[in-house]
Amino acid sequence: MHTEMSGPAPVAATDLGERRVREDDDAVVAARFRAGDDDALAVAYQRWSSLVYTTAMRATGNTADAADITQAVFVSAWRGHHGFDPQKGSLPGWLMSITRRRVADHWEERSREGRRVSAVAATEPDEASGPSADLVVDRVLLADELERLGEPQRRIIELAFFQDLTHQQIASLLNLPLGTVKSHIRRSLDRLRMRLEVDGVAL
Amino acid sequence: MSHCDDDELSIIALGEPASSADDAHLQECSRCRSRLDQLTAVVGSARSITDDDRPITPPADVWAGITAELGLTGTGTVTSLDAARRRRGGRTWAIAGAAAAVGLVLGGIVTAGVLKPPSSAQVLAQASLAPIADSGFAGTAVVEQRDGHAVLRVQVPDLPQVEDGYYEVWMATPDTTTMVAIGTMNPGEDATFDLPAGMDMTSFPVVDVSVEHFDGNTEHSAVSVVRGQLQA
Repeated sequence: MHTEMSGPAPVAATDLGERRVREDDDAVVAARFRAGDDDALAVAYQRWSSLVYTTAMRATGNTADAADITQAVFVSAWRGHHGFDPQKGSLPGWLMSITRRRVADHWEERSREGRRVSAVAATEPDEASGPSADLVVDRVLLADELERLGEPQRRIIELAFFQDLTHQQIASLLNLPLGTVKSHIRRSLDRLRMRLEVDGVAL
Repeated sequence: MSHCDDDELSIIALGEPASSADDAHLQECSRCRSRLDQLTAVVGSARSITDDDRPITPPADVWAGITAELGLTGTGTVTSLDAARRRRGGRTWAIAGAAAAVGLVLGGIVTAGVLKPPSSAQVLAQASLAPIADSGFAGTAVVEQRDGHAVLRVQVPDLPQVEDGYYEVWMATPDTTTMVAIGTMNPGEDATFDLPAGMDMTSFPVVDVSVEHFDGNTEHSAVSVVRGQLQA
């Protein structure tokens, strides 16, 4: 990339790093990641660490645990990069599956600790289990995808999801034709569904 | 009977009543029913989202922890520099004691180099600067002992002008988590800098050239064009 930079023509400084990251599409990053290119690790971290961290944060309720899990996810993903198969799924999907395992390990450890403590104290063990990581993953992915929707799609889908407005109410509120609102809703729902299919727990 | 319209299925998934025709069709057609079930599941998950589900960026030291644990040095460019930039708030870079004069620390003499030192100068270390992020540029950096102090000379041919910005030369630790701003560099010119006396250069062997903006922010922009490691 940066063919525009190899000549003497002026370039906007803001373009240099940002564009590089956007231009590599996810599949290219995935292929480079599998090949062991550590630049791809940096890009993968930049793109998907917030999904991993937020999922871990929501599942554990604790920033320190979430940071530990995020580090563990990327370290084990990198060490096991040969085990990632782009034919079988997306790189963020793979990272999220590692995240789910790490969250499960976290709770298992907690529950073991709980049992140890309760054996000493001779009391009933506490129920140490977190919310289902699968549900958390889906919610975080959907929240991310919602933020990527353009306007007016995002406003329409938020009114439908969170204000429980009917499509007629949305159409009159936003002064849009009914058919437009319907097709925006259909496309947005499809996009959300695809995102879960590609990166999430299989529906 | 034709299948349900996808627009209608989406509306039904949101909880609006189905027309009697669609309702009747859904009783019989497993294809439309499973499609509706999928969309309903998406709607159900989406409606359970709260503000806390919005992706938030992990703390900067997580990336530093990853590169440290994996033993990666300076290759994961964008984010490691970004992390470094944020960490620099603490001004943690090491300045060695006065005894650790640059010449004593690096010691060795290398005479070969793309940049020819003036006859009175002695080359202490040099580096090939490799392109970062396929920037397409490459260059050289040389540290010389000149008149009793250390001088860094950096050459990157063919750098374009930066709109609303400039190039800055940095020296960094091998993991690029800590860096020292050395000075600005103009395209088309070799840049020469007097290095701070007492800086332990073995701790900062990485030479990096970044693109900076006229924004008053003194920290690394996280956008580099070339980088290399000095060797004695």
